[in-house]
Amino acid sequence: MKSYLGIFKMEFKGELQYRSKAISGIFTQFFWGILQILLYAAFMSDGMVDGFSINQMASYIWLGQAFFVMRYITLPNKVGDQIIDGNVCYKFVRPINLYNQWYSEHLGQKIASTLLRFPIIIIIALFLPAGLGLSMPVSALAFVLFLISLFLGCFLSVSISMFAVYFIFKTLSTKGAVTLVSTISGLLGGMYIPLPLMPDILQKVLNYLPFRYISDFPFRIYIGNVSINEALIQIGISLAWLLIIIVLGKLLMNRALKKTIIQGG
Amino acid sequence: MLYSKYLKMHFKSTFQYRLNMFITSFAQIIINIGEVIAVWMLFDRFDSVGQWTFYQSLLMMGIIFTTFSFTECFARGYDEFPKLIKSGQLDRMLIRPVNLHYQIFGSKIEFTKLGRTFLGIVISVIALINMNIDWNIWKVLVLIATFLCGIVVIFGLFVFSAGVSIYTIENLEFLNILTNGSKEIAYYPINIYNKWLARFFTFVIPIACFNYLPLSFITGIGILPSWLCGTAPLLGMFFVVPCILFFNFSLRKYQSSGT
Repeated sequence: MKSYLGIFKMEFKGELQYRSKAISGIFTQFFWGILQILLYAAFMSDGMVDGFSINQMASYIWLGQAFFVMRYITLPNKVGDQIIDGNVCYKFVRPINLYNQWYSEHLGQKIASTLLRFPIIIIIALFLPAGLGLSMPVSALAFVLFLISLFLGCFLSVSISMFAVYFIFKTLSTKGAVTLVSTISGLLGGMYIPLPLMPDILQKVLNYLPFRYISDFPFRIYIGNVSINEALIQIGISLAWLLIIIVLGKLLMNRALKKTIIQGG
Repeated sequence: MLYSKYLKMHFKSTFQYRLNMFITSFAQIIINIGEVIAVWMLFDRFDSVGQWTFYQSLLMMGIIFTTFSFTECFARGYDEFPKLIKSGQLDRMLIRPVNLHYQIFGSKIEFTKLGRTFLGIVISVIALINMNIDWNIWKVLVLIATFLCGIVVIFGLFVFSAGVSIYTIENLEFLNILTNGSKEIAYYPINIYNKWLARFFTFVIPIACFNYLPLSFITGIGILPSWLCGTAPLLGMFFVVPCILFFNFSLRKYQSSGT
């Protein structure tokens, strides 16, 4: 455990160095945030969709932009590179678990990168006029639950992205594997369009799948679209999903590793 | 001809890694299909936005997928211009007795983008079939002009950002917003947006000229006179002129990056 914490800290500190990257990222996030809000506001010209108001929609979008890095499913490039160029074999000989190592690396990068970006976006978005800006959380309790579920969501996001590792081992293509996992979970998790704007039947199905627990669920606690009681139950569900996905991810990776052949070099 | 040699060279080098080529094309198509599904979901929920319905919006998506990826395939050299500067390749190009633009076009041709072009054409055809349009010769001509206008305007954007990168050398994030932002704006008929945003993307960057103006001519929906909507794709193409002039002007100030 101690060595994984060490890896986490190393990646965390490394990522904090990329400040100018973060600033240009923030710039982009602002543009997309405003664009999306204007787009959905055009669709929601009646002002309300099943208890989802324009103000709530704007808050949802800003949270999405502020925590973009956290919710976006991707993999550190070097993981794919290591698998494809064969350097992964040096990892095999070390006395640490490969899944845990990549997991803590990725988590460290994600958290550091999110911490660099979110404060500026949140602060500016709070000052934007109503209907275009971020509102305050509905209640203090909701805010606490939002933080807890967001934290879980961050782990969930990393766990799901670890599935891509399995596909990289299988196909030896980073791009294909990561795109596939990221598109599916993005679409089903509300990255492309917010879940409350999706067809009803689909929303019901998605409530049982893990993807919405990455970010859609925390955001909806924040804006008060999910009641406190419901939130407590669903935090339990997301915990269960988290465990299932980690176990499944480890099983898949072990399977892939057993069949891995390093070709000379 | 020199360009056919360029074409052959890039074609061969792409096909050396056939599996990689297919996976890359496939991955790009997946992203676009995800976006189409997202738009479908929105329209399933809301039926219409402004006066526009799903298939009209789908046509807009088809047009931008086709034109953007087509331009990306053949004008990739402009899109990745900072690379040419940093690697010193631009310096080498400048001393060759061949037109510079010709060489930039030849420097990179990315055939994997054509997967998206194909998807865009399929989507456009699906949309057009479902739109119940009374076709006449003018509408067909406007539609063809729309696709051409899209290619020319996006090419103009690439040339402009290449021109800016002569000063900045690094590929700045805001240039990315300029090109990719224009692309995403064009997924929907742009007059649904806030009026200032719509004006910007009509008069400054003429996205509207291959977006809602010709759509309005073809469907007859909208308030603008149809002669204006019909000629918009032709007018929009002039956007490329200042872009190229700016690029050539910047190039005169170019000092090598020292590589």
